[in-house]
Parts: sequence; C-alpha cells; structure tokens
Amino acid sequence: MKEPIYDQIFKPKTYTLSNGKEVKQRASRTPLVLLVVLLVTVLSWEATNVDLSALRTRGYQFVIILTDMFPPNLNFLNNIWGPLFDTIQMSLLGSIAGALLAIPFALLSSSNIIKNRILNGFFKLFLSILRTLPTLITALIATFVFGLGTMAGTVAIFLFTLSYIGKLMYEHIENVDMGAFEAHESMGLSKVQAFRYAIVPDVLPTYLSVSLYAFEGNIRYAAILGYVGAGGVGLLLDERLGWRDYPSVGMVLLILMVVVFIIERISEYFRMKLT
Amino acid sequence: MIEFKDVNKTYPNGVTALSNVNLTIDQGEFVAIIGLSGAGKSTLIRCINRMHEINEGTLTVNNVNVGKLKGKQVRDFRRKIGMIFQSFNLVTRTSVINNVLISSVPDLSAWRKFLGIFPKEKKVEALEALDKVGILDKAYNRVDQLSGGQQQRVALARTIAQNPDIILADEPVASLDPVTAKVVMDDFKRINKETNMSILINIHHVELALEYADRVIGIRKGEVVYDGKSEEVTQDVLDEIYGSLDNVPKMDDVEEAEV
Amino acid sequence: MNKAVQLQLDKEPNRKLYLSTIAAILIALIIWSFMGVNITGFDQRGTQIASNIFSGLFSPDLEFLFDFTSGGGVPSLLFETIAIAFLGTVFGSFLAIPISFLMSPSIVSRPVAFVTRLVVIFIRTIPSLVYGLMFIRVTGPGPYAGVLTMSLTSIGMISRLYVDVIENLDRGVLEAMTSMGCTTYQKVRYGILPQLFSSFLSVTIYRYDMNLRDATILGLVGAGGIGAPLIFAMRSYRWSEVGSILIGLVVLILAVEIFSNKLRERLVNG
Ligand SMILES: Nc1ncnc2c1ncn2[C@@H]1O[C@H](COP(=O)(O)OP(=O)(O)OP(=O)(O)O)[C@@H](O)[C@H]1O
Ligand SMILES: [Mg+2]
Repeated sequence: MKEPIYDQIFKPKTYTLSNGKEVKQRASRTPLVLLVVLLVTVLSWEATNVDLSALRTRGYQFVIILTDMFPPNLNFLNNIWGPLFDTIQMSLLGSIAGALLAIPFALLSSSNIIKNRILNGFFKLFLSILRTLPTLITALIATFVFGLGTMAGTVAIFLFTLSYIGKLMYEHIENVDMGAFEAHESMGLSKVQAFRYAIVPDVLPTYLSVSLYAFEGNIRYAAILGYVGAGGVGLLLDERLGWRDYPSVGMVLLILMVVVFIIERISEYFRMKLT
Repeated sequence: MIEFKDVNKTYPNGVTALSNVNLTIDQGEFVAIIGLSGAGKSTLIRCINRMHEINEGTLTVNNVNVGKLKGKQVRDFRRKIGMIFQSFNLVTRTSVINNVLISSVPDLSAWRKFLGIFPKEKKVEALEALDKVGILDKAYNRVDQLSGGQQQRVALARTIAQNPDIILADEPVASLDPVTAKVVMDDFKRINKETNMSILINIHHVELALEYADRVIGIRKGEVVYDGKSEEVTQDVLDEIYGSLDNVPKMDDVEEAEV
Repeated sequence: MNKAVQLQLDKEPNRKLYLSTIAAILIALIIWSFMGVNITGFDQRGTQIASNIFSGLFSPDLEFLFDFTSGGGVPSLLFETIAIAFLGTVFGSFLAIPISFLMSPSIVSRPVAFVTRLVVIFIRTIPSLVYGLMFIRVTGPGPYAGVLTMSLTSIGMISRLYVDVIENLDRGVLEAMTSMGCTTYQKVRYGILPQLFSSFLSVTIYRYDMNLRDATILGLVGAGGIGAPLIFAMRSYRWSEVGSILIGLVVLILAVEIFSNKLRERLVNG
C-alpha cells in the first residue's frame, strides 16, 4: 500500500520490539493542522484589514449602542405587531408550502423508491444547489421578481425549506429498512399500498419533526428578510437602525426574542412527542 | 398442494440457484428445508409466492400455474400465502396491532386505505390473531419496544390474520435464542395442527428441523438431494446435504488463504 | 368473541379528539397566514426579470468570473468572503472555549452554568445583520466589521456544541490515569486535550460551513464580502454580472461543504 504523502515526508517512528516485530507510529497530524490554520489566519487577517487597535479605541461605540437599547422603547410596541405577524405568517406559509413540495422532491431523489439514477441525481443536485443559496439572497432576488413585500419573503423561505427538508428526507428514506415493504408485497399489497403502510409510518415522525425544526429556524431568518424589502420586522430593524433609534431596536429585538422562545418551546414539545 | 416440475432458476447475474427441482407438497404438511448457506433455500420458497420468477419448468400452487399470473392476479394469489422472515420485517415505528392489520388493507375502501382507519371487525380479527400467539396484551405497544421473540410472534400473528393456506418461513428462528426459538417453533406446530395450513420452513438448526417437521427436504447447490420423513434422516443423509467434514476448509487453510 | 379480546378492544387509545384538535389549529394557522401574505403572481416585469436572471446564469460575465488579477473580480470577492468567514470562525471558536467551560454543569456550579447559558441565548437571538450594522459604527464599512460579526454570532452555536463534547468526555480514561498516579497536568494534557481537540475541530469546521453562507449576506449591509457587489449588480440590472456572482457563490459553497464533510469524516474516523 502506498503511504500518504505526509507519512513519506515525516517518516513514522519505528520501534523494534524484543521479539523482532516492528511497530510504526505515524507522525502526529496536529502540527500540520495548526500550521495550516495559522497560515490561513495570517492571509485572512491581511485580506480583511483586521486592526485590533480600532477595536480598543472605538469598541465602546458598540457598547454604547447596546446600552442605548435599554430600556427598550415600550411605546414602539404598537408599530411592531403588524410586521411581527407578517414575519410569522411568511415563515408559516413558506414552511408549510416548502414542506409539502419537499415530499415529491425527496421521493424523486431516493434511489430505493424511484429506480432511475438519472432522475435521482438530477433532483439531488437541484436540492444541493438550492441549499447553497442563503435565504437573504434568495429573498433579494425574489423582491426583484415578485416586487417588494411579504410575497418575496415567503418565496425565499419556501425555497430554503424545500431544499432543507428535501435533503434530510431523502437521506432518511434511502436508509429506511425495506424489509417491511417486502413483507407487505408478499402479503398481496400493491407497491403503492406497501409504500403507504411500510414506508410512510417509518418516515412520517421524522418528516413532521424536521418540518417543525425548519419552521423554528425560519422564524429567525424571516426576521431579517425585511432588510432587503421582503416584508416583516426586518424592515423596522433597518429603518430604526438607520435613524439610530436604538431603544426601538431594543424593543423589536426583545419581542423577537420572546416570540422565538415561545415558538421554540412549542415546537420542541411536539418534536419530543414525535420521537 | 404445491408442485414443482423440472424447475430451474438462474439469477440475472448468472448464478444458478435451483436446478431441476421436482417436489410435491400436500396441504397441511410441515416441511423443513435444510442446506448450506447459498444452497438455494430462500430462492426455493420465494418462488412459491412469486417474489422470484422461475426460468424453466412449471410451479403450481393449488392448481394455479404461478408463472402465468399477472398484475392483480399475483397480488390476490399472494394473499393466500403467508411469509415469515428472519428479520421479522415489521414496521417498527408503529403499534403491534397496526402491523397485524396490514393483511386487511386490500379489502378496505379507498378512503380507509388512504387514512389507515380500519373497521371494527378487522380489529377483532387482528386481536384474535395476537391472542393465538399469546401476545394480546402487547397490542397497543410500539413494535420497537418488543423483544425479538415477541416481534417474530407479531409477524406470525400478521400471517395468521391473513388466513393463508400456506406459510413460508425463511429462517424464522435464526436471530432468536434457543429457548425463544423453541417457543416460536411450538407456535408453528400448533398452527399447523389446528388449522391445517401447510408450513415450509428454511432452517439451519438441524435438531429443530428433525424435532418439529414431518418431512425434510435437503438442498445442495440448487438441487434436491434428500426428500423424506424426518425420522429417516441419518448422519449419512446429513453428510450428503452438507458435504462431509473433509470438504469443510480447515482453520489452517483459512489463515493461509488470507495471507 | 372471547373476553380477553373484547377487553383489549375497549382499551384502544382514542386519539381522534387530539388529532382533530391539532388539525383544526393547523388549518386555522394556514388560513391566517394566507390572509397576511398577499400572494402576487409574476407580473410582466417580474417574468422579464426572472428570465433575465436565468439568461445571466447561462451567459455569465466570464471576464468578471475569472478575473484573478485585479481586486474586483469574482475570485477576489470570494476570497474576501472566505477570509471573513475563516477569521470569524477562528475568533469565535477561541472565544467559545472559555464560555463553553462556563456553560458545562459538570465543570462549574449550576447557577453559573445557567447564567452563561442565558447570556449565550441572548447573543444568539440578535440577527447577524444587526450586529453587522452595529460593528460598522466601530470599524466603518468593510470586511473587518464582517469578521467581528461572524466572531460574535458563531459563539452561540459553537459553545453549545463544545458543551456537548465536554459533557460526553470519556471519564474512564481519567479514572484510569488517577489510579496510575498521574498529576492533574498530565491528566489534562494526555487525558482530556486529545479527546477535546478533534471533536472541537470537527464542530469548528461545521460552523465554518455555516459562516461562509452567512458571510455572503453581510455584504448587503456593507460588512464586506460578495453580498454588496451582488446587490449593486442587481440594482443596476447587470444580469450577466449577477449570473457570475451567483455561479461563483454556488460553486464555492458546494465545494466547501463537500470538503468539510470529508474532513470531518476523517477526523471522526481518526
Ligand atoms: N437477488 C439475487 N441476485 C443474484 N443472485 C442471488 C440473489 N439472491 C440469491 N442469489 C444467489 O443464489 C444462490 C442461492 O441463494 P439463496 O439465498 O437461495 O441461498 P440460501 O440457501 O437461502 O442461503 P442462506 O442459508 O445463506 O440464506 C446464492 O449463490 C446466492 O448468491
Ligand atoms: Mg436464505
């Protein structure tokens, strides 16, 4: 067997035991890893103009903004409800639509369900590519296509959810034990019936749980989509940060925190029940 | 009645799994099929319910030519044949009773099929099947909470609920401990006696085969090399089926072969 | 019907009410969200732009896409994005080490762990764009603000995953070493660090993957990376340039994802 290049350069230590056997200890990889990390760090440092003195001299600016957020501007609450509901509605609708469309996509990607390598590969690649696009960038593009507003945000959430659930589900479906499916066929069920009664009960709990998890995450994403004009509280954040109205920003963040917290607890409760 | 006439089976990759098989098995027989790994035991029983196709010869089950069946006919035909697997092949993330109810799925109306809502009389049938194998109290437990022996009995109940003429069992006790294996074999025996279902079992435990089956079929390299009463199986017969110990590679050879 | 069967039949759990309640709530939520989102189809302008983006993807500005020499091409923009994500991950993972120890109930007392946890949750809920805008006030627009943002936003997840690693440390090794009479230093150096190093590294690589995606959007607020040129190109309808940037982005993120999965697999398998 050919030795990895690393072992050719840094020869393994060889110990000879008293009974004549030889034991080789490969040189540790850790120094190499550290060296590479150090090198890339220096390069990145140069490229991004990191300057620690700026942090020392002007870092207080950050703290000032942070302390300005307290106490939050309670009067701003009335302006928050509308965009907040928009945010929740966008993520809800986008998540549900995405989760539903993810089913056919996941099935078409699963090599044990649809026995067509080309089709499987095509849909897998599609989902992977879709997944690389950050939601905010999809939202930006969507605002150009659908105009400013909640529709663009919903489309962005929808596409991300589709790719996320689609990928997780085909990975799950491909690992399903097909034994029960076979047993059902041996009992005279058609392929569709065997799928309904062997695969669906196995996959459904995971599907619901993954969908809930995606929805949880989507609320966070949806909160910033307004920044590119795709509706929701992001709009407020953008506007108030621009006006340096930090107490109102603090209020938006506080409400956001509460909403995310509540939704996460509810979703966590149901996800626990599903496993 | 199951009848093999000059049956040959070759897999698409060229492996010949059955050659020139001639067998007649009457209704109500309890048959054990024994042979080395790869001899063709699974292939033999899987041809009976058309999970595999035969290439040559004819296979008739209850006067039906199995090879001539098409589409829906195959499915209706399979409903009269139960099958038990070594790895149970249950839906583990759902309840015991839901697994047993599967056999009634083809009878349901379209909306019931879709939603999976079963009528009461089907549920009663399922529970009675569970009662017959002694795990009625586990009906609403999830399958993955049961032991292997209990799971195999769920599979058996699922087959009983199907009310088949024939039960095909592919190494049903291979993943069970010796005591549980006997319990499950007892279930098979009792069902065979009470309902007159034919039972064909692939099995590696020769002692169990001889103890429970009325008839033993020995297979070697796809050919039937023994077919007779279990009482008449002698050491010579076993040597014939499994090959005498001289042919079994010795430990030293194995080690050398690997180096 | 025999009695035992009858008895068992009556015991069937009834989940109809539970399931129909959940279904009703779900339907109500769906209707409610339909009311909030005004569904607009493609109008003519939208269709035009969508087809422009597509044609941009298939006829990208190749000069811009492969411009390795000047500072403004896709490669250098991607490099800046990579650098932001990398430094952010490095800083974030270093900051996460003390924090994760402060969060581990098996290392510090429960109240301390709880308070640290709360602080981390707090840090995590503020969206990265908000941090980006706050740091721009410190450093001015540019990649440096991006690095600071990434450092802060990665702390939350990294430290939570580090805690899992710490809590799952194999204590058997430590016991064995104690029984051999090792000093505390020896226990940490030979018993704990080797276990932590590769797991921490794996977590960090995973986070790098995510940070890279996040770094692309920081440009939208002016915190460096490829986001800003993308938004400029779109606002000025330079579709072939948009196509080049999107292609570069997708290829980069896919490549890093594949590479980091490979790397983490090797780390796990030694
Ligand atoms: N689906 C298949 N495709 C190709 N060849 C197969 C297939 N299934 C089995 N074979 C081959 O057919 C031969 C008989 O296999 P079979 O599974 O019937 O043996 P078996 O007696 O059941 O063995 P075991 O005791 O290990 O279960 C073997 O050589 C096997 O490799
Ligand atoms: Mg077999």
